[in-house]
Amino acid sequence: MNGLQWWCSAQTSAWTWNPRPFPGVWLLVALLVAGYWLFRKLAGAPATPSDRSRDRKGKWAWAGGVLSLWLALDWPVGALSGYLASAHMLQYLLTALVAPPLLLLGVPIGAWRRLASRPGVVRVIRFLTQPLIALAIFQLILFYTHLPSVVDRLMVTPLGSFAIDTMWLTGGLIFWWPVVAPVPVRQRFGYPLKMGYLFLSTVLNTMPYAFLTFGELPFYGVYELAPPVGILTAREDQQVAGLLMKVGGGLILWTAITIQFFLWYGREGEAEGPAPPA
Amino acid sequence: MNPTICRRIRRTAARVAPALAFIVLSTGCRVEAPERSEAEERARTTGYRGILLAEAGPRPDFVLTDAQGAAFDFRLQTEGKLALLFFGYTYCPDVCPVHMASLAAVKRNLSVDEQRRMRVIFVTADPRRDTFERLREWLGNFDPEFVGLRGSEAEVDSIMLGLGLPAAIRDTAAGPEYTVGHASQVIAFPPGDGFRVIYPFGTRQADWKHDLSKLLNP
Repeated sequence: MNGLQWWCSAQTSAWTWNPRPFPGVWLLVALLVAGYWLFRKLAGAPATPSDRSRDRKGKWAWAGGVLSLWLALDWPVGALSGYLASAHMLQYLLTALVAPPLLLLGVPIGAWRRLASRPGVVRVIRFLTQPLIALAIFQLILFYTHLPSVVDRLMVTPLGSFAIDTMWLTGGLIFWWPVVAPVPVRQRFGYPLKMGYLFLSTVLNTMPYAFLTFGELPFYGVYELAPPVGILTAREDQQVAGLLMKVGGGLILWTAITIQFFLWYGREGEAEGPAPPA
Repeated sequence: MNPTICRRIRRTAARVAPALAFIVLSTGCRVEAPERSEAEERARTTGYRGILLAEAGPRPDFVLTDAQGAAFDFRLQTEGKLALLFFGYTYCPDVCPVHMASLAAVKRNLSVDEQRRMRVIFVTADPRRDTFERLREWLGNFDPEFVGLRGSEAEVDSIMLGLGLPAAIRDTAAGPEYTVGHASQVIAFPPGDGFRVIYPFGTRQADWKHDLSKLLNP
């Protein structure tokens, strides 16, 4: 079972700290790097100093997004996600909550403008990323991909595990789109509403957290019957997964809420102008 | 309510509903009709999630040495109790620790009286490496009340064969970290004997929880 696999999945053989290659993950990382290069090429050189400055920062955001995905999907986190529910949860946080906003922030401004010039595509994207729809899609993906029957069925094959990761990344991009993407490729969505949207998602992830943390028995056969790693029992591992979802997910979302608050505050300050001299 | 707001709510609902329906129908069908596991299917016909052997003789009669170094008479010392017998080895990387961890977790949730009326017996199939101290330490990680038994390889193999299990295969030529091929099932002997229930690897804690109270009170 420890032969070459293109994507990580659950294993029946004992865990070892010998690194294992996942060529599919490397291909994805290469495609993302190439994708950025293509975006830059299509977008052309930034026209204004502010665009230049934005794209310079965006480059680092894109790199952060790619790095998060790489960390989540490659050895050891990716491989451990076939043994431990807690590693699987860490993978979820990185794939659905950390990487997507960074990737969206990294898209060059010229690429956004090119996208905005295609009204048909924009109409579809704007529909899918309306806050209520985006939130519903993301929560359904979160709920579905944490169902025991789904995890037990999909995590045992590389294709199934890839499907889960793809759903997380797609759901994450849809979820973060209303918050991060610029107008006109998203609906107008003020800072207070963005904060409310993010807050609502912190509330909604309480349900899976509660199930994982307070469940009397392990939910996932794939983790309950996996060769043990470390000293945690299957139930303790599941509890750590639940806490990671609540605390780790909460930390990411509250950081985003705080950033939105300061952006809002800064903009209000700009509108008011400098204080008059005393 | 303001008609404009009503209109907006209706419009939003009309947009959200098809998206929700699409996702639920395309991916979430199993939410409503989860598949039953093989163990659950068995429980529908026999009442047990394990594999019921309806006609079985008395529990085996053998004496081995426990981890404290005292003689342990299996039939005598488990009489009137639910005995869960398993053959494995402490260096096992997968099946043995999972079975032991599952049994320990489920046992913790039983009443004190129920715990008193059951015994988990682990017979090492690898007496070369599983010293008494090693057995005590390893089983203590799961539950200090689990009984560890040790005998010669020939004795253990003979008991396994007597129970209809294959003898252990010890790949000692592979070096000091050799593996041992052994039967992966736990055999449950209920207090009154007369039948046995086999629990293959893959038995979940939920299955044990379902069956243990029945086994304790057949």
